[in-house]
Amino acid sequence: MNNTYDVIIIGGGATGAGIARDCSLRGIKALLLERSDIATGATGRNHGLLHSGARYAVTDHESAVECIRENMILRKIAAHCVEETDGLFITLPEDGLEYQATFVDACRRAGIRADIIDPKEALRLEPSANPALIGAVRVPDGAVDPFRLTSSNILDAKAHGAEVRTYTEVKELLREQDRIVGVAAYDHRAKCEVNFYARVVINAGGIWGHGIAAKAGITVNMLPAKGALLIFGHRVNKLVLNRCRKPADADILVPGDTISLIGTTSSKVPYDQIDNMVITPDEVDILLREGEKLAPQLAQTRILRAYAGVRPLVASDDDPSGRTVSRGIVLLDHATRDGMEGFITITGGKLMTYRLMAEWATDLACRKLGIEATCRTAELPLPGSAESRREVEKKLHDKPIVQRRSTISRHGALAVEIDGKSSLKNSLVCECEEVSIGEVEYAMEHLSVNNLIDLRRRTRIGMGTCQGELCACRAAGLMGRKDPVCARKAKEDLVAFLNERWKGMAPIAWGDTLRESEYTSWIYEGVCGLSDERKKTTVK
Amino acid sequence: MNIQQNTVSENNFEQCIKCTICTVYCPVAAVNPDYPGPKQAGPDGERLRLKQPDFYDNALKYCMNCKRCEVACPSNVRIGDIIQAARIKYGPKHNTSVRNFVLANTDLVGSLATPFAPIVNMAVGLKPVRMVMDKVMAIDHRRIFPKYAHGTFTAWYRKHAAAQQAAFPQQVAYFHGCYVNYNNPQLGKDLIRIMNALGYGVQLLDKEKCCGVALISNGLYKQAKRQAQTNLASIRSSVNDCRTDVIATSSTCTFTLRDEYPHLLQLPNDDVRDHIELATRYIYRLIQEGKARLKFREDAAPLRVAYHTPCHMEKMGWAYYSIELLRMIPGVEVVVLDSQCCGIAGTYGFKKENYNTSQAVGEPLFRQIEASGADIVATDCETCKWQIEMSTSKACEHPLSILASRLA
Amino acid sequence: MRFDTVIIGGGLAGMACGIRLAEAGLRCAIISQGQSAIHFSSGSFDLLGRMPDGTPVTDPLAGIAALETAEPGHPYAVIGAEACERYARQVPRLLREAGIPVTGECRQNHFRVTPMGKAVPTWLTIDGYLTAAEPGKLSFKTVCIVNVEGFLDFYPEFIAEEFRKYGVTCRFGTVNCPALEEIRRNPSEMRSANIARVFDHDQNLEALAAAIREASAGCDAAILPAIIGINRNDAFQALKGMVEMPLYLLATLPPSIPGIKAQQLLQRRFRALGGEYFLGDTVLRAEVHQQRVQRLFTANHGNITFEADHFVLASGSFFSRGLVATPDRIVEPVFGADTLHVPSRDDWYTTHFFDRQNYQAFGVRTDRSLHVVREGNAIENLYCAGAGLAGFHPIQDGCGAGVSLLSALFVADRISNSKPL
Repeated sequence: MNNTYDVIIIGGGATGAGIARDCSLRGIKALLLERSDIATGATGRNHGLLHSGARYAVTDHESAVECIRENMILRKIAAHCVEETDGLFITLPEDGLEYQATFVDACRRAGIRADIIDPKEALRLEPSANPALIGAVRVPDGAVDPFRLTSSNILDAKAHGAEVRTYTEVKELLREQDRIVGVAAYDHRAKCEVNFYARVVINAGGIWGHGIAAKAGITVNMLPAKGALLIFGHRVNKLVLNRCRKPADADILVPGDTISLIGTTSSKVPYDQIDNMVITPDEVDILLREGEKLAPQLAQTRILRAYAGVRPLVASDDDPSGRTVSRGIVLLDHATRDGMEGFITITGGKLMTYRLMAEWATDLACRKLGIEATCRTAELPLPGSAESRREVEKKLHDKPIVQRRSTISRHGALAVEIDGKSSLKNSLVCECEEVSIGEVEYAMEHLSVNNLIDLRRRTRIGMGTCQGELCACRAAGLMGRKDPVCARKAKEDLVAFLNERWKGMAPIAWGDTLRESEYTSWIYEGVCGLSDERKKTTVK
Repeated sequence: MNIQQNTVSENNFEQCIKCTICTVYCPVAAVNPDYPGPKQAGPDGERLRLKQPDFYDNALKYCMNCKRCEVACPSNVRIGDIIQAARIKYGPKHNTSVRNFVLANTDLVGSLATPFAPIVNMAVGLKPVRMVMDKVMAIDHRRIFPKYAHGTFTAWYRKHAAAQQAAFPQQVAYFHGCYVNYNNPQLGKDLIRIMNALGYGVQLLDKEKCCGVALISNGLYKQAKRQAQTNLASIRSSVNDCRTDVIATSSTCTFTLRDEYPHLLQLPNDDVRDHIELATRYIYRLIQEGKARLKFREDAAPLRVAYHTPCHMEKMGWAYYSIELLRMIPGVEVVVLDSQCCGIAGTYGFKKENYNTSQAVGEPLFRQIEASGADIVATDCETCKWQIEMSTSKACEHPLSILASRLA
Repeated sequence: MRFDTVIIGGGLAGMACGIRLAEAGLRCAIISQGQSAIHFSSGSFDLLGRMPDGTPVTDPLAGIAALETAEPGHPYAVIGAEACERYARQVPRLLREAGIPVTGECRQNHFRVTPMGKAVPTWLTIDGYLTAAEPGKLSFKTVCIVNVEGFLDFYPEFIAEEFRKYGVTCRFGTVNCPALEEIRRNPSEMRSANIARVFDHDQNLEALAAAIREASAGCDAAILPAIIGINRNDAFQALKGMVEMPLYLLATLPPSIPGIKAQQLLQRRFRALGGEYFLGDTVLRAEVHQQRVQRLFTANHGNITFEADHFVLASGSFFSRGLVATPDRIVEPVFGADTLHVPSRDDWYTTHFFDRQNYQAFGVRTDRSLHVVREGNAIENLYCAGAGLAGFHPIQDGCGAGVSLLSALFVADRISNSKPL
C-alpha cells in the first residue's frame, strides 16, 4: 500500500467530502479519513434546510449572501439531493408586523428574492401554516438531503481518484519539526494502526476539529452548541415554514423527503459531551410548543424520533472568552497563524456553504502545493444529478411505480444502476420507504456501507414510520448471508441498529411510538430472543 | 405538557405500527399479486402520496373496498377508507367507460330494464348476448346477471300498500335500494309484512336515489355526491320533521349511508346517522326491548340455514342481529359460516378483469357452504346473494324473507 | 344485548377466559378491537423463563413460588403459587381442545429455538416446532435449513451461526416453484401468509417436499420456516409424511403462521361453545354505578349496549391500547382505572433498547382478586386479566403468555364461582 498522498482530509462530513471532490477534480491525490461513517456529525444532524439565506439576512449579511449563492449552485449541481419547495416567513400576531419590512429589505440587499404575500394566499399555498398568521414572505428556501449530498460528493471524489476510508480514526498528527507530514490512524474494521503521509493535512472535523487541532498543540476555540430537532411521521408542510422574527428556538419546519422536521433548540454544551447527545424532555417540550405555532397540526402529528447535532461555532481569535462567535466560514492556515506548516483547519460555516468551504480549503491547499488548477465544483453536476428525473423515469419503466419514484428521488440518475430486472430484486426490504433488495445490494456494493446504520443513511431504510421495525432484520439478513463471519457481524449490527433507533425514539416514546416500541421488543427480544450481549446498563 | 396528550391525528394512517395483520386478511392480496395489499396501498402509500401525489398507484383500483383490513387492524387505521379516498383524490378523473357507467348506474339501468324485464332477463341470459357484453363492455361472460322484476317495488307499494300504512300506530321509513326496487320487490313486501306484524307502518322516503356505492367504486364521485345529498335531505326530513327512523334491508346501502357518506364523500351525517339502521337490527331491538313481538307458524318444516356475513356487515359488526332473528324462528337451525368475502364486492366481480380474482376470493366460502349441509343460505347483501347462487348449489335469501315466510 | 359475562379483548387472556366460562355454560361475549398480538406468536407459550434478577428458571413452578415473597405485586404472586400450579396444569388441555397441540411441562422448562437460532426457555411448544431439552442439545448433527427463495423474514445464516457453536453442521437449501413466482410479482407481499397459502395446495406441497428431500439428502433433519398450513390443519403432517426425515419448523418474523392459526382455532372453539365474538369493535365507555359496571357502549353498536353480570378487562397493554401512554401519564381508556406507573417519563425507559424497561411493567391497578381498582376502590364485577396487569416484565422474564393464561383462568374461576345475581 502506498500511503503517501498530496492531501489528507480529516472528517467525512459534507465539507470533508466536498474537499475530497474538489481536490480530485483538480488532479490532487487526496485521502479522506473518517472515524465513523460519512455524514454522522453535524452534517447529518440538522434541518436539511436549503437556506435561501433569508434567515440570516437581517443579522448576518455576509452569510446570507453566501447562502443564496450556494443555494442556486446546489439546485444545479445537486438536483437530486434538493427539493425546490420555497419557503414562507410567517408573522404571527405575537411577533408583530414591524420586523417584516426590515426583513424583506435585508433579503433584497443580499440578493434574495422575497415576496410579501397576502395571508390568505399564504394559507392557500401552505394549508398547514398557522391560520392566525398576519403576514407572510415567500423566499427561495428548499430542502436538501445531507446524506445524499455527502454520499454524492464521495462518489464523485472516488470516481476522480480520491481514496476514502471510513471507520478510520486519526489518533495522532505526525510532525517533523514545524510541519505536519501525515497522520497516525486506527482502522476500526481491520483493528490495526496505520500511518498516512501527505504534504497538506486538512482538518475538516467540524466540532471535533478542536480535538484534532489540539493534537498539533494548536488551539481552535470552539463553542459546542447543541441543537435538538424532532422528526414528524409524514410530510406536514409543502413549503419550508419560518417565523418572521429574529432567529430563535424551534422556528423552522422543513419538509424533507417523506417527513417534516422542526428545530432547533440551542444550548451550549461542554466539549467533553459532544459525543453524548441526549435529548431532554424540556427540549422536546420547547420544540413542540413552538412548532405548534408554526403548524398547529404538529400537536397531533406522530413524532418519529428526536436527535441533536453540535454546531461548530468558532470564537474569534481575538476574543478567547467566546462571546463573539461567527457563523461564517473560518479558514485557518496554521502556518501563518501558529507557525505550523502543512496544516489547515476549515470550520464554522454550515451545510449550505459546504461547497464554498471546500473551495476555500482546496484553494489554500493548492497554493501550498503549488498547483494552479481552478475549482469546478460549482459547474459540474454531482453523480445522480446529470439527468432530469423525467429522463431517468423513462429508463425505469418496468419497475413498480412507487418503488421507481422512491429510488429516483434517492439516487437520481444512478437509480438505473439498481438491479430491478427480476421480481426477486424488486422485492421490498423496507416497506415504508420502498427500499428493494436491489437497492440494498447496490448500496452495499457502491456506497461504502459497512453496517445497518450506514445503510440507513444511504437508502432511508428504517427512516420511515416504523423506524426499521421489520426491515432492519430483513436488511441484516441480506448483509449476513455471505458467510458465517458476516452473519455474526450482521447480528451484532442489528443489535446496534435497534439501540440507535431506540435512542431517537425514547425521548418521544408515548402514544403510538410506545405501542411500536412494545411491538418491537416482542419481536426482537421475544420471538427472536435477541439481547445486547456486549453491554448491559443498570436499571434505573 | 398539554400538547400530544391523546394524539389522534386526522391523518389516521399514522396509527399504523406496521404489524402486518391487515395483509393476512385482505381477500384480494391473497389471490391477485397485482394488488399491492392493504398496508402498502393504504397507510404506507398515503404517506408517500402526501410527499408527492404522483406516487399514486393505479393498482389501488383492485381494492374491493370490503374493509376487512379495517376489521382486522388492531390500531383502528381506516385502511379501506384511506385507499378509497386516495382513489378519489389522486386517481384518474375521466376514465369512466361505458361498462363502468352501466354497472354504476343501477338506478338508471334498473328503471330502464324493469318495464321490459322478461325480455331483458332472457336476453342477458343468452350466451351470444353475454359474449357481446364481454367483448364490447368487458363484463365477464361467465357472470350470471341478476334478474329484473317486472314492475318496480315502488310502483307496487303505491298501488297496493301505501294506503294501509298510515293506520299503524308507529311509523318507519324504508330505504329500499335499487335491488328491492328493480330485482327483488318481494323482499320489500316481506319487510312490510314483518313491520306491519310488529305494529309499524312503512313509509317511503320523499325521494330516494341509489345509495351510490357502485358510483363510488366506479369513480363517478360527483354523481355519487349529488345522489347522497338527495338521500340525506330525504332522510333528514324523515328523521327531523316526521320523527321517523330510516331502515334498510341491504347491509351495503346501510353502510354507505352511515359511513361512506362522511368518510369518502365528505358529507357529514352525524345528526341522522344513529337513525339510519339495518332492518334486522331495528327489529331485534324492538323485540329485545319488549316493544313488539312476532308470532311464528309452529308447523313449518325444519330448516337449516347457513348465515353468510357480508363484508360491510362485518365492518358494521351487526351480523349478530340477523343471526339472532333467525335463531328466534321455530324450526330454524342456524349455522354461522366463517366470516369471509364472497368475492363479488358489488360491481367488482362483474368486470372481466376481476372475474378470476372474484371467484378465487370466494372459493373457500363456496366450499364451506357446500359442506355445511344447509338447506338455504341467508345473507343481508344482494350482491353476495348473486355470487353465492351463481357459485354454489344453494339458494340464498335475505334473513327477513325467511322470517316472513314463517310468520303466523 | 345481555350476556353473563362480557370480555373486552380477544387476545390470549380474553380467549382463554371466554373459553373457560363458555365451557362452564355461561353465555359470553368477547369484544375485540381488531386481531390480537397472538399474531406474533413464536410457536411457544412461556410460563417463567427468568427471575426478575435475571437468573434462568428451570422449574417455573418453583420460580413462581419464589416470586410470592420476592415480588408480591407480580400477578403470579397475586394469584398464588398453588392456584398457579392448578391453572398451569389446565392450560395444555384447553389449548389442545381448541386444536392447538402443545407439549411441555410446568415443572421443567424446555428451550425453543428462535429465528435467530437462540435457545430460549419456555413452557409449552406447538408440535412440530424445533425445541431442545437444553441449549445446544439438538437432536441432529447435520441439518439442512431450507428457505423459500426471496422470503426475507427467515434467516438460515443466523440460525446456522448459532448451531455451529454446538458442533452442528448446517447446510442450506432453497425452494422455488411457479406459484411462488406468481406471488413474488407483488414486491411487498412475499410474506409468510401468502407463501403458506401457496403450500395449502397439494401440488405445491409435494413440490416443497421434493425440494426438501433433495436439499437435505444425507442430513439428519431439515428445518423449515413456519410457512405451512394457514387454511389447512393437516398441511404439516402431510408434508412430514412426504419428506421421510425429521422435519422441524421455526418461527418467522410477523405475520406468524402459528399465531394466525392459534387465533383462528381459539376463536372457533369459543364460538363452538356458544360464545359471541365481536371483532373490529371498540369499547368507548362504560356505565359504572355503585362500584358495579352496568353496561358498555361500543363504536359499532351505539345505542344497543352490552350488559352482563360480570365484565373482564383483557384489553392488553400498549400495543392493543388497553393502556395508553400520553407524554406524562398512563391511562386505561375504557374505565379510567387506576394505573401503576412511575410518574416521570424520564424514568419510563433507559436509552438502551435491550435494558429492562420500566414501562413494560406498567398496568392496571387491581386488588388481590384481580378486581379493577378505580379511584382507589375495587369495581365489584370487573376483573382484569392478561397483559394489562401491572407488576411483571412479560418479555424479559419470559412470562407473558403464562400471566395471560393463568390470570384468565383465575378470573374465570372467580366469575363462575361467584353467587348468581
